[in-house]
Amino acid sequence: MSEKNEIIERIFARKGIIAVGLAVFGLALAGSFFTNDYLKKFNIDTVAAADKDSTEVEQVEVIEVIPATEVPEAEQQPAGDEIPAQSEEEATVAEQEVEQAVTEKPAAEIVNAPVKLTASLLRNNHNSFRGPFGLGVIYHKNIPVEWDGNTGKSVLWKTPVPKPGFNSPVIWDDKIFLAGADENNREVYCFNRSDGKLLWTGKAGNIPGSPSSPPRVTEDTGLSAPTVTTDGKGVYAIFATGDIVAFNMDGQRIWAKNLGVPDNHYGHSSSLITWDNKLFVQYDTNKGGKIMALETADGETVWETGRKSKISWASPVLVEVDGAYQLLLTADPIVAGYDVSSGKELWSVECMMGEVGPSVAYSNGIVFAANEYARMVAIDIKTKEILWEQDMYLPEASSPLAHNGLVIVATSYGVLACYDAKTGDQHWEHDVGTTLYSSPVTADGKLFLIDNEGVMRVYEFSKEMKLLKENELGEAAGTTPAFANGRIYIRGEKHLYCIGN
Amino acid sequence: MKRKLLYIFLTFIFCITALTSYSQQQRFPKPEFSSGYEQPDVVTPEPRSGGFEYLDVAVLLVVLSLAAWFALRKRSRQGILWLSVFTLVYFGFYRNGCICSVGSFQNITLSFFDAGYSVSISTLLFFLLPLIFALFFGRVFCAGACPLGAIQDLLIVKPLSLPKWLNKTLGLIPYIYLALAVLFAATGTDFIVCRYDPFVGIFRMDAKFHMIVLGISFLLMGMFVARPYCRFLCPYGVLLSWMSRFSKWHLTITPSLCIKCKLCTTSCPFDAIDFPVNEKEIVQSGPGTKKFIVYAMLIPLWIVAGAFVGERSHLYLSRANQNVYLAELLISDPEIKNDPDNIDVQTFLESGKTMETLVEEAEVMRGQFKTGSMIAGGFIGLVIGLTLINTTVFRKRQDYVPHRGNCLSCGRCMDYCPVEK
Repeated sequence: MSEKNEIIERIFARKGIIAVGLAVFGLALAGSFFTNDYLKKFNIDTVAAADKDSTEVEQVEVIEVIPATEVPEAEQQPAGDEIPAQSEEEATVAEQEVEQAVTEKPAAEIVNAPVKLTASLLRNNHNSFRGPFGLGVIYHKNIPVEWDGNTGKSVLWKTPVPKPGFNSPVIWDDKIFLAGADENNREVYCFNRSDGKLLWTGKAGNIPGSPSSPPRVTEDTGLSAPTVTTDGKGVYAIFATGDIVAFNMDGQRIWAKNLGVPDNHYGHSSSLITWDNKLFVQYDTNKGGKIMALETADGETVWETGRKSKISWASPVLVEVDGAYQLLLTADPIVAGYDVSSGKELWSVECMMGEVGPSVAYSNGIVFAANEYARMVAIDIKTKEILWEQDMYLPEASSPLAHNGLVIVATSYGVLACYDAKTGDQHWEHDVGTTLYSSPVTADGKLFLIDNEGVMRVYEFSKEMKLLKENELGEAAGTTPAFANGRIYIRGEKHLYCIGN
Repeated sequence: MKRKLLYIFLTFIFCITALTSYSQQQRFPKPEFSSGYEQPDVVTPEPRSGGFEYLDVAVLLVVLSLAAWFALRKRSRQGILWLSVFTLVYFGFYRNGCICSVGSFQNITLSFFDAGYSVSISTLLFFLLPLIFALFFGRVFCAGACPLGAIQDLLIVKPLSLPKWLNKTLGLIPYIYLALAVLFAATGTDFIVCRYDPFVGIFRMDAKFHMIVLGISFLLMGMFVARPYCRFLCPYGVLLSWMSRFSKWHLTITPSLCIKCKLCTTSCPFDAIDFPVNEKEIVQSGPGTKKFIVYAMLIPLWIVAGAFVGERSHLYLSRANQNVYLAELLISDPEIKNDPDNIDVQTFLESGKTMETLVEEAEVMRGQFKTGSMIAGGFIGLVIGLTLINTTVFRKRQDYVPHRGNCLSCGRCMDYCPVEK
């Protein structure tokens, strides 16, 4: 490079620097012209209004369903031995009260106004997992016993469920509720009971404390295993994220909170149950067990009782003992009862072990608790005495059913067994040969149990094994059906079915 | 030449081994917790515990001293080369490129503007020691103590000589990068020099794909355009260059008198050798004084223009700040609240902070950016003005000498000089 070139290079350098400088400044200026100052556009009122609109629009969603013929309301004649019967007049009055409250009062008032749940009101609905009080005893009549999901025989309607979940349908009046979740969204669905139309979808998002990504769960538990519950004024749902949320019957979100992500290696699955304006949450995790009562109106904690138990997947059951209601819970190692008003542990028996999934059964003062690889025990609720125990047939996921002196157990390997409630003697067994995760329920003098392949078997509820019908749904199932007014509502893998005569 | 090829071969083997380890690491993903916790991307490795951070300072001090000794006293390119290899292994692959003098000025900057942020003694020393050495011995840090320089230096194959005008023009980029890095650090927004360090991913064998690609691209480019990051990006190099211009001692091409044999003219891969000035030609080229005055008078104009552009640019520059970004996102698209996949938004919603508070914080930050951007713009204008005026100034020079600001003290030119002491 010569000195002459040095001069030329400097001239080029000058031009280059000026060009680059102007280009940088020009680009920066051009960028500024295309930049909006959104901070200046901030208006808190506008944002709040937008939030409201967005909530209202997004939470109501309607889909087309297969048309169905309206079926006349079946006779609602309560029956059973544990709960006194309710007259038609009482039921009608109670229903009218609830209906009036829903139609006339604004949303906030509806939720804040206490509703007195009664046993008879629950028996006319199906407000929780395994029906009234979570006991698996249904008081509706004229339940169909024969259908075929493949041909559509006795299938009044069938509608898709937007998101998956192993929770079971619950019913209040003319509405059916389900929950579903995937990696991104957690939702509660309300369907019209008469035609299956999706009335609204409630979103369980934007909850303070909710994890940004859902916890790892197993495929057969999922993110939405717990069944929702309702008291006729609100619908309450919990998910594997620990998010618990309340909607009114029209789908407006009333409150939501996160209880802390449950440390649960399969996924939280304990269903909710409600009574006396309280929402009960069994929260047995790897970090310890507890039972909580939340105000149904605002989600505030009424009481919380720690449990000397390990993790469990069972759900609470409500029973009346000497005029007072108590919650029955089972987990490793205790089966225990808690006062619904104070949360105080009333009694407990150390008798259970393992990863407890089945909830307890209860009939005539006897609590029946069972778990696979452990045992089944019959406990006198007053004396805490273990009346009998057996380890022949034990359930893994299915909860036992006790009613009219019989105890029904469904094993995951496909055996349905019937025991005598007082003595523990085995009356009968039936090897269906397929997986049984669903819980047996009794209605209209019959025993209903659907297997994981979607075949529901209907038996006579008696000491003798009498299989009445085997009905194919046409798709896999595993949840426990809901019953109302001569109809059965079954959640299949992808659809919700209404079976009726 | 054979020896050089051997060095290049060994460095390639080292890089390939590193990449293989990286790919193997990707085969076994990080553990995920059942609680839903997501491990964030690692920006910096674990801090040194106890006295080990001072061990790093001691190592830096020794390396700088050796580099100065090799460059100025021993005049050994060989020594500087092996020192680079050690630096690459120790500060690069062993210490994962952190702590690093190149990014340390951001820590120092933040400590000036954030009373709650303090820098450790070791960070301060990592920032100061190379500058002090540059003030006395030239850029010996670049020669043998910088892992970023070392990895590039060892991969130079056939360096092309860039025209001076291009060197000068591209030389503006480090100043712009420095101004932006100081702006972002001062506002507590980000340490962009660390975040966009192209080689740190290679050192750590763990980085986002695009950063790995960027790093490899720089290395490939560096085979022909020697040490491109050091010359046309490194903001710390700006500070070192300033110091080095006033260095008490500096590497020289010849140990004695220059005999103008011109053997060294092609020795520098960084185009950092100044040639003798032909005064006669310069006088014939035109009235230099007039140009100087014109460009000197234009400097305030460049500063004002830069400040104006900076002020106009603060809106989008401030969006690099998390609070400003979030506030604008939520205002411009309120529906984003319902997007469960947007972790930033969901984290904000879960924090319980109100929108009003967020907007207030964002407005404060935007105000800081407005002032900072004006200063940064003015600084860039000043640099442009001074660089222009520099092109009009000719210093009397009769020998071939290293450019004190641009010379990286690598010592290559010394081997070309036939003069002996």
